[in-house]
Amino acid sequence: MSQIEFKNITKEYITDVKVLDDVSFSIEKGEFVFIIGPSGAGKSTVIKLLLREEPLESGEIIFDGKNISEILPEEMPEYRRKIGVVFQDYKLLDSKTVYDNVAIALEVVVADKEEIKTVVPNVLSLVGLLDHAEYYPKELSGGEKQRVAIARALAHEPDILVADEATGMIDPDSADEIVEILEKINSLGTTVIMASHDQRIVDKLTKRVIKIEKGKLVSDKKGGKYHA
Amino acid sequence: MPKLWENLRTYLKKEKLMTLSHFLVMGITFLVLGIFINVIVLSQTMLRYLEEQAQITVFFKDEFGEDRIIPFRDQLVSDERVAEVTYVSKEDALRIFKEINEDQPVLLESISASVLPASIEIKTMDISDLEALSNELGQKEGVEEVRFYKDVIERFRTVSNTVYIVGAVLVVIFFVISYSVIVSSLRTAINSRGSELEVMKLVGASDPYVKKPFIYQGVFFSVTSALAASVLTILLDFGLSKWDVFSKGFSFGFLPGVFISPVIFSLILSLILVISGFLLGYFGSNAAVKKYLKY
Repeated sequence: MSQIEFKNITKEYITDVKVLDDVSFSIEKGEFVFIIGPSGAGKSTVIKLLLREEPLESGEIIFDGKNISEILPEEMPEYRRKIGVVFQDYKLLDSKTVYDNVAIALEVVVADKEEIKTVVPNVLSLVGLLDHAEYYPKELSGGEKQRVAIARALAHEPDILVADEATGMIDPDSADEIVEILEKINSLGTTVIMASHDQRIVDKLTKRVIKIEKGKLVSDKKGGKYHA
Repeated sequence: MPKLWENLRTYLKKEKLMTLSHFLVMGITFLVLGIFINVIVLSQTMLRYLEEQAQITVFFKDEFGEDRIIPFRDQLVSDERVAEVTYVSKEDALRIFKEINEDQPVLLESISASVLPASIEIKTMDISDLEALSNELGQKEGVEEVRFYKDVIERFRTVSNTVYIVGAVLVVIFFVISYSVIVSSLRTAINSRGSELEVMKLVGASDPYVKKPFIYQGVFFSVTSALAASVLTILLDFGLSKWDVFSKGFSFGFLPGVFISPVIFSLILSLILVISGFLLGYFGSNAAVKKYLKY
């Protein structure tokens, strides 16, 4: 059984304007998958649908054997905790320190304080920011902010890490560091889905590449390249 | 609880201007509500006092002597509609006349007790009985004239009922306005923390976890504002009590004949305002945060 299955997904934000048109693919547990395509192709919509931030017009998304449209509102927080998300604009809270920005992911599930004190330094160490724990986001570079966002996404040990254009706002060296971290996380068994239009990164990693153009899935290749 | 209190303190410190505006808007709303309830009760009390002055005066013929008036009075005392009966003899009438006209000695010289009629003043339990009683007394033997200021009493009653009904409707409207003010005030506070809520939902926060700080904040703002408004209404009613404006106390339209001290009334009103503050804060913040809870 695949971990994630997109079955004949169609999504419209405006009537008769299809952002995704009959898209189907599946992702196995532990895979590293790029979803590529030009701006407006529908990459972010794939992620929004997976997070159930948007309703579906038709089709089914199956996560661990369960249709996510059937998840009850009270079950949604638990579902969201299975998916760590990293965004292009980091979505960090400027008023909180790096430590607190990560800890918030655990506080929302009323985690034990001792557990927070153990987990937060561990994930900060994984992204190489343990010595920046008391910094505020405005004191960090773009790459460092993205690493904090990754640490926060990892705090409750998600089954999947989703990165939506995670390298879109940072310099190439920092982008390489981010990708290295994502590979490391993937090597530890977490499925990584990265939406990107960064050709350099996609070509460098030679992972599975799902290409979407004008809402349609145009190619799905293992060891793929951006233009292959 | 300590974490919620800490969050609230951080918010109050960080958003001083917004905090001030919340307190002002909510405080003024509760104060207006409190003053409004006060005005209704004061107008009801004034009308009750005026109604209490409403009476029938029965004047007797000269040949109808005191020996016959006293049994007439005693018969009235036993009537369940009657609250108070006062006998004014010819001598009493002269004394009252002299008190009223003490600056007119010429007039007083020409008046003696024999020319003034003896009378009985009657107050009823319910002013609606005045007219029927007046008609009955007019038929009695020995009665020269019955004076009953029907128009004035009817006007009292109309004004009293109008103030009561309009007042009750306006209090309900004011509650709705207070609720809207609180919801919009809290929504402003919540919108300013939109990114924090977005992150919370992103990392899988449950609805109660997201809601709790805002409900705590909403209840804190509205209860504190209601308390401040209560202090001002207590001071107002304390002043009325000290100046002894209403010697018997305040009255309510729905509780005829019941009077309570202005200070006790203000304490009850404060309790009502604080409970309203709690309920409006609780339900208002719930409504304000609702749109952030949709999955």
